Amino acid sequence: MTVALRLGSLGLAVCAAMLLGLFVGGSALPAASVAWTLLHPHASGDVATIVWQLRAPRVCIAALVGAALAVSGFLLQGMLRNPLVDPFLTGISSGAALATALAIAAGLAIPFVPALGFGAGLLTALLVAFLARRGSGLDAERLILAGISLSALFSAFVALALTRVGRASSSTILAWLAGSIAGRGWNELFWAAPYAIAGFGLALAVVPALNALRLGDDVARAVGLDVVRANWMILSAATLLTAAAVALAGTIGFVGLIVPHLARRMLGTDGRKALVASALLGAALVPLADAASRTRWAPAEIPLGVLLAIIGVPTFLYLYLRPASATRMWGT
Amino acid sequence: MGHVALNGVRVAAGTRTLFENISFEIAPAEFVAIVGPNGAGKTTLLRTMAGFIRPLAGEVTIDGVAVHRLSARERALGVTLLGSESELPYGTSVRDVVATGRFAHRDWWEWGERESDGRSVDAALRHVDLSECAERPFETLSSGERQRARLALALAQEASLVLVDEPTSHLDPRFAHEILGLLRSLAQGPRSVVAVLHDLSQAAAADRVLIVGDGELIADGPPYDALDPVILERAYHIAFNRFEQAGNLTVAPRGPLVPRRSDDARVARGSAQGMDVTGKHPAGAAPVGTGHDANADRILGAGLVPGVGDAGFAGDDDGRGSRPR
Repeated sequence: MTVALRLGSLGLAVCAAMLLGLFVGGSALPAASVAWTLLHPHASGDVATIVWQLRAPRVCIAALVGAALAVSGFLLQGMLRNPLVDPFLTGISSGAALATALAIAAGLAIPFVPALGFGAGLLTALLVAFLARRGSGLDAERLILAGISLSALFSAFVALALTRVGRASSSTILAWLAGSIAGRGWNELFWAAPYAIAGFGLALAVVPALNALRLGDDVARAVGLDVVRANWMILSAATLLTAAAVALAGTIGFVGLIVPHLARRMLGTDGRKALVASALLGAALVPLADAASRTRWAPAEIPLGVLLAIIGVPTFLYLYLRPASATRMWGT
Repeated sequence: MGHVALNGVRVAAGTRTLFENISFEIAPAEFVAIVGPNGAGKTTLLRTMAGFIRPLAGEVTIDGVAVHRLSARERALGVTLLGSESELPYGTSVRDVVATGRFAHRDWWEWGERESDGRSVDAALRHVDLSECAERPFETLSSGERQRARLALALAQEASLVLVDEPTSHLDPRFAHEILGLLRSLAQGPRSVVAVLHDLSQAAAADRVLIVGDGELIADGPPYDALDPVILERAYHIAFNRFEQAGNLTVAPRGPLVPRRSDDARVARGSAQGMDVTGKHPAGAAPVGTGHDANADRILGAGLVPGVGDAGFAGDDDGRGSRPR
């Protein structure tokens, strides 16, 4: 299958997943009326409200979060040449989690929580980057160690907060920690989208640098890459994308760690293809999982992050780590 | 094009000064070998020449422009460095690895491959005889083929100075010979090649040999003159034999210097001058340059600081002093 065909089918998968997300949900609407509403965007009524004000933003947010986390993971794995790295490495999620937990515990109005999480995530990433500096550059090992240490510290504070707050608050915090886009609407999307778009733009610009970095920092430097500048750009792109995703959906694991591996497996290590494939795969997977989390056990919702991990990880292990495929680990 | 000069360069690794006031020039089309003991700072010297490390004093210039004033991209069009090891990019085709060399020929945000890029990569692959392996994953190549692919990367980069760090380590004699031949073939037109080598007989294949040790440039000259046992003894602090057969120079260590005085190499040098080669030689091989060679003084005099025992001796890779005790 050619590259264009593979990317094209991924694109179709994104459309299909998003459409599916519009047709299914907690309240069982007839498919025909959903389709009619989609064709008449200015219609009013219950169905229109559910489709346009509840499902549509949710589907868009799911796609954006999936793409952002997958691209962020791809960037960081490429920069650090470490397949175990995920977007939360820089402590963004734990910083955001702590801020969110404190805000909820303090009784802050829920609409402010995403913005607060975003700010705290960025601050944590800055702190980790500051700790990981060596000279004017970034040290990969220090980055990983600083990220893991701060994450552990903040997680401990979150656990402490959970034991100190009332049951109502703690269940809100737990829901956020598990990762969910329940209750998010157009406002949150419009608020977070600019950061994600800036992150995507920066990510596209660093693709040639990522390709050079495949051979290590020294080769990249020798062929003319300003490694220090490239690393800061990659980290900035990954941070913007992750912070936007975390603000919208809390902590959603799996996508940022595993989707880049799947993308590389489908299209090889060339960032020009694999980064696009990561974005598309993420944008297809999360809306799909979100649709499942809304429908399968309706009216109760399984948190999105939990569902993705429960279904995704065994699938990944089967695809990736079964002995037969060992020879094609990063296969092209 | 391709004229490289080091003027009074001082190189340090952390707080330890490796070289003080080193000066030499590399002419276009020259194939230069750098030899010297482990820990002498050969790799650091190469990295300084490549513009990765800014010298503490003096400057490295390419065609009169200081390397550290160039942007990363401009620098890469003038000089490239192939380290002794690189990451193994799993799942990346040989062609993609070689095409990495074209990075500096495009704008930094540019995704596509230009027509000239494709031509250059194909030519480089042909030059190292890897055209048929172009689509294979890099990690499936043998060590010798990998080294050839990395040379192709440097070739595709079209830099006028190619610096190579230990290109023949881990290679069997046949592949090592092949790589040396390739290095020699790269050094033509405006392009020169500087290789750090450990095998002194391999260094003899170069146009010119630089010997470093004890914090200085000990010798700089044609292989026959520079690879003189007296000079080598100064660099490595052991005795050497040298043979010549059918125009090939072979240099092999003989054993420790006598007397074993670690604190005054001049004593060792004096004793080496009086030594004769007494070991067994292969049939037909005549020892040349045993003991003191008239050339040695001339070469030794070229741009070196007198006083061998004065500079602190750098430890070897294990951090131990490699001077015989």
